[in-house]
Amino acid sequence: MEHTNKSDVLRQGVIVFVFLAALTALEFFVAIEIGSTALLAMIAFVKVGLVLYYYMHIYRLNIQDDNLDRHSFQYKLGTSRIGLWLFLLSDAFIFGGLFISRFNLLGLTALPLSSDSQFTALTITSVLLLSSFFMNRAEVSMEHGDRKGFIFGISLTILLGLVFLAGVITVEWPSAINAGVTPSSNAAGAVFFIMTGMHAFHVLTGVIFLSIVLRNGLRGLYSPEKHWAVESATTYWHFVDVVWLFFYPALYLIGKLI
Amino acid sequence: MSLHGIVMIIGILLGVAGLMNYLVPMLIGAQDMAFPRLNAFSYWVAPPAAVLLLSTLLFGGFDTCWTGYPPLSERAPLGMQMFFLGVAVAGWASILGGLNLLASVLRMRAKGMTPFRMPIFVWAAIATSLISTTATQLIGLSFQMVMFQRLFGMGFFDSEKGGNPILFQHLFWFYSHPAVYVFVLPGLGIISELMPVFARKPLFGYRFVAMSSLGIALVGFLVWAHHMFVSGMNPYLRIPFMFSTLLVAVPTGVKFFSWVSTLWKGKIEAPTPMLFVIGGVVVFLLGGLSGPPNATVATDLHLQNTYWIVGHFHDTMFGGYIFPFFAAIYYWFPKVTGRRMNEALGKIHFWIMTPSFLTLTLLMMRVGLLGMRRRVADYDPALGFDNYHLVMTIAAYLIAISVLIFLYNIFVSIKHGEVATGNVWNSRSPEWQVPSPMPVHNYDRPFEVIGEPYDYGLPGSVYVKFEDKKSKSH
Repeated sequence: MEHTNKSDVLRQGVIVFVFLAALTALEFFVAIEIGSTALLAMIAFVKVGLVLYYYMHIYRLNIQDDNLDRHSFQYKLGTSRIGLWLFLLSDAFIFGGLFISRFNLLGLTALPLSSDSQFTALTITSVLLLSSFFMNRAEVSMEHGDRKGFIFGISLTILLGLVFLAGVITVEWPSAINAGVTPSSNAAGAVFFIMTGMHAFHVLTGVIFLSIVLRNGLRGLYSPEKHWAVESATTYWHFVDVVWLFFYPALYLIGKLI
Repeated sequence: MSLHGIVMIIGILLGVAGLMNYLVPMLIGAQDMAFPRLNAFSYWVAPPAAVLLLSTLLFGGFDTCWTGYPPLSERAPLGMQMFFLGVAVAGWASILGGLNLLASVLRMRAKGMTPFRMPIFVWAAIATSLISTTATQLIGLSFQMVMFQRLFGMGFFDSEKGGNPILFQHLFWFYSHPAVYVFVLPGLGIISELMPVFARKPLFGYRFVAMSSLGIALVGFLVWAHHMFVSGMNPYLRIPFMFSTLLVAVPTGVKFFSWVSTLWKGKIEAPTPMLFVIGGVVVFLLGGLSGPPNATVATDLHLQNTYWIVGHFHDTMFGGYIFPFFAAIYYWFPKVTGRRMNEALGKIHFWIMTPSFLTLTLLMMRVGLLGMRRRVADYDPALGFDNYHLVMTIAAYLIAISVLIFLYNIFVSIKHGEVATGNVWNSRSPEWQVPSPMPVHNYDRPFEVIGEPYDYGLPGSVYVKFEDKKSKSH
């Protein structure tokens, strides 16, 4: 738990979000003007680094509490954090496998999608980034005892998550199918649908987690000292965002220009 | 094709999970795993997994053996689907169990138990769990992709649609090669754990042995494509994978040096557990030495898919898992039940199993070199090794009989074995310092680690010191 000034932390969240938005715009520009995969990869890694550090607080894994009582909440919190991050590490291997399959099957060539879907993808990517921003605000609010800010932030996150899901399922998928990319058409279609589908499934899981956390939050089950459910759901949500930061360029930006 | 492969793999995984789940909390002085409910979940997904795997028999079986290679697996009957689902469900147990164990070891060690004062088995368990937590996802993914190919016609592995069947093999072996280290690392850990007890000498090179477990796990992630030398992947990939595979011999060799040096000039006692430890070392040495010919591309092109591979594989599995597993049961049985297993029956078990097993696998390698293919139902008698096959069959039945003797021994000893409530093997480990069978609250008085774990034979040295009953732990 950081004992810093709330407005400082919130301002930090805003600055990080501005950086992420700028990098996303730069990424799009790089894709259409330069078309360099190496640059895209570098930008993706910078974005992921920002999210890992400022939104997911990976430094919290540096736990030093050997002198704490083993049965105390604080000690168990450290154990839970390790468990959660190990789970995310494990999950990352699935997405890594999908990511590698994409390059194994298609090399660095673009998926045969229409330029419309490229713009929708940029939109839903922004929606997901924005949801991460509000998720961060919700968590910071909870840490500083601002219940209203927490409820507001988490509700908005759920809403944006649902917008993202709707964007993928009702806009992206039909537009891909119209362009002739169906799950069974060819390897590119298979890759597109399993990658977006697997990610959307994780977003859906995250929305469900967050809804439960929202319900419990409305009932007042969390306090600034004890809110592991909030922290874990937050971390998971950002993780799903991190996955998309890699999937988005791999599916929409590589090799393709409008 | 038979269920032998997958049943043995799941059986071994369950055995590994059981060993680690029982031993690790006890060895590190914890009351339970870090996440007990998650642990219960990992345990209770075993029945649904077993049901799914057995249901393959009702739905036309699966024709591909446990590897499930497409394109055959995308065309096989419904049993294939059940097989994929069963493996996926069993995979949850592996992933969540490994995660749980890592968290337990990181967070729940006794006071004073620094990383290099942990019992050596715990290091093996860490390495195993690192593999099972991460790599297991890839076998799940590869099977899921075949399932989607079957269900929705997604063309990942269908070359007509621009897919690539070799991709499946990459994804599949990225788990399934490290998986063999999941099988053997705990066994090798048990060998290192038990050997100093019966040689009454410190474990030679503790730190190197600890690091060699991690080394095997790490290198294990870099060798998967050596299963694919003849399957049509880019030939230039063979060379790096050949070298990385040969590199596995280095950390494994460290373990052998440690074992031999631990035995050197020790006051060796040889009750049943020690017999199985020595047997395991010998058999695993045979398995290890028959490995490099498979790793070397030039010889592997000849040996691939022959009985040589079957012999090599069973040597490593028996030496690295089955023998240490029996050793562990004979060794910790008094801890679990408060009674010893029958020593005479144990020795009979060992002396029937070891020679027949060596006969079996050496002959397997022999007929493999003569041209016997694996995964075939029949062979041409003109090849001239039907007598070998007869001997192998007899040897296999002898192994089965010896295992029946072992099971009989367990059932008899649970009720009528010699009562043993104290430190039967004169061990320094914490679990033997409390009465057997293990009390429900295992360590009533918490202990503190104040010395090196394996300083057997050094006068005055102690590993653990129990706190006085009066003083509370916190």
